[in-house]
Amino acid sequence: MSVSVPVLEVEGLVVEYGKGARRVRAVDGVSFRVEPGECVGFIGANGAGKSTTMKVLMGFLFPAAGTVRVFGHKAGTVESRQRIGYLPEVALYYPFMKARELLELYGGLSGLSRAQLRERIPGLLARVGLGGKENVLLREFSKGMQQRLGIAQALIAEPDALIFDELSSGLDPLGRYDLRQVLLDLKQKGTTIFFSSHELTEVESLCDRIVMIHKGRVLKQASVGELMKPLNQFEVLFATANGHEPPEEMRAHDLRRDGDLWRLLVNDVQEYPRMLTTLTASGADIRRTASRTLSLEDYFIELVRDAEAPR
Amino acid sequence: MNPYPVWLVAHSVLLEAIRRREIYAIVLVATLLIAALMTVDFFQLEGLTKFYREVALSIMSAATGLTVIVLAARQLPREFETRTIYPLLAKPIGRLPFLLGKLLGTMLAAAFCFALFMGVYILGTLYLRGEIPWGLFVQYVYLQFLLLLILAALGFWLSMLLNLDAAITIGAIFFLFASQFTTMTSYIYDYTGPLGQKAILALTYAIPQLTLLDLSEKAVHAQFWEPLSLRTMVELTFYGLFYAAVYFGLAMAWFRRRPL
Repeated sequence: MSVSVPVLEVEGLVVEYGKGARRVRAVDGVSFRVEPGECVGFIGANGAGKSTTMKVLMGFLFPAAGTVRVFGHKAGTVESRQRIGYLPEVALYYPFMKARELLELYGGLSGLSRAQLRERIPGLLARVGLGGKENVLLREFSKGMQQRLGIAQALIAEPDALIFDELSSGLDPLGRYDLRQVLLDLKQKGTTIFFSSHELTEVESLCDRIVMIHKGRVLKQASVGELMKPLNQFEVLFATANGHEPPEEMRAHDLRRDGDLWRLLVNDVQEYPRMLTTLTASGADIRRTASRTLSLEDYFIELVRDAEAPR
Repeated sequence: MNPYPVWLVAHSVLLEAIRRREIYAIVLVATLLIAALMTVDFFQLEGLTKFYREVALSIMSAATGLTVIVLAARQLPREFETRTIYPLLAKPIGRLPFLLGKLLGTMLAAAFCFALFMGVYILGTLYLRGEIPWGLFVQYVYLQFLLLLILAALGFWLSMLLNLDAAITIGAIFFLFASQFTTMTSYIYDYTGPLGQKAILALTYAIPQLTLLDLSEKAVHAQFWEPLSLRTMVELTFYGLFYAAVYFGLAMAWFRRRPL
């Protein structure tokens, strides 16, 4: 029986910048895994340590402690980069090259033959919205076009895994939409995707799992389903019959006194109607019902504020 | 090591050198300077040919040497500054083949620059109805390349240690004053104490004697000189390659552990 190797394996990663008294710990004991075929969002505020972690994954930075493996190989080795497509947070591409030449360079470095490149480049450029721009010098490309080209260079070798630092940085809404379609298509084909983004709606719609990082530490990591479960909130304000205690099963949820009334908070969309039925059957007087759905963004902000709050 | 990635990186450096047009500007300025000097009319034709050879070769050597120092010294800092290094080193290429590619590309760009200069030189000599001493001339070109290789490797190392401006300045000083340094040390050697002599010897071994690789004087006065023997050429080749390898090795040692 073959055991699948995690695509990314980060264990107790510590990264420090500077020396002596000026030493700053940018990443402080981060651990997570990304399994084959997963789409994982890496979210955090500016300076949280996302790009630093990604740079260690690519071998651009060296860890002060911890282990980082990519497809089972030590991060930074040539083998570890064999099956990865990487999009940096900010990168310019050689302005003296044409789009085709740049992709030939990156494709060639990835081991593609000239024939493969000839066949692949026009289709790939069309796929990222740069069809017909093969022979345009990159100095004539706008920021958005450069970002699209960046995506093309990451995809040129049809890698098994993608690492995108700031997924849709510099892209207009149309560009973001195009990119989402490309990623959804790749995800369906089983490509592993690990990306950071400040666009949390994008993360929510694309990812299977999310790793939240703050001040160099992982705040939370869970599947999108698990994370979103408590984000659906249903509220019931009720009075019990003859001032009795509410039915016992209500206590499995968030049940609080609110003056003479009771306030029940239910996070599970399937539990909510069951609780209403139980309350009605117990003779409770339901005064008000309300529902609200927190976005991932609200949840993230709440988590960060909680982490920042003095203990 | 697979040579193809090295070639791909080198090709990108060459493409930049050809498309950025700096080399053409350098060749044009140098050519105009040589042409202006040719208008000096106090020589007979034979004297003018020699004068032309001397001036042209000096200007060409200086211009190519400085071009190589600038090209080499700016390769890595510019990659860091524009962050073009990230998508490149994200591909399965090690830092050693990457740096080797940069060195090869710089040398190809130098060859391109040198070829343009040689075109000017040969046309100028033919115009003055002078003769080209092919044996010495080919040796001159070959040794000039070894010299440029040392300068390129030094440029890479300096760019790892210093900022771009400082790297170019130190590299230029090293190149332009190498011959004065050699002359000066040989003069003062006998007049210094044992400690000073040891220091001069140490410096003589630490710093390559670039004048050993400069045959321009012999190429100008070719009627008095035979081409160098094969043995001397082999020894000079090892000499040049040794220093280039040392500087390149130092550059690689710095680059290998540099966080990006």
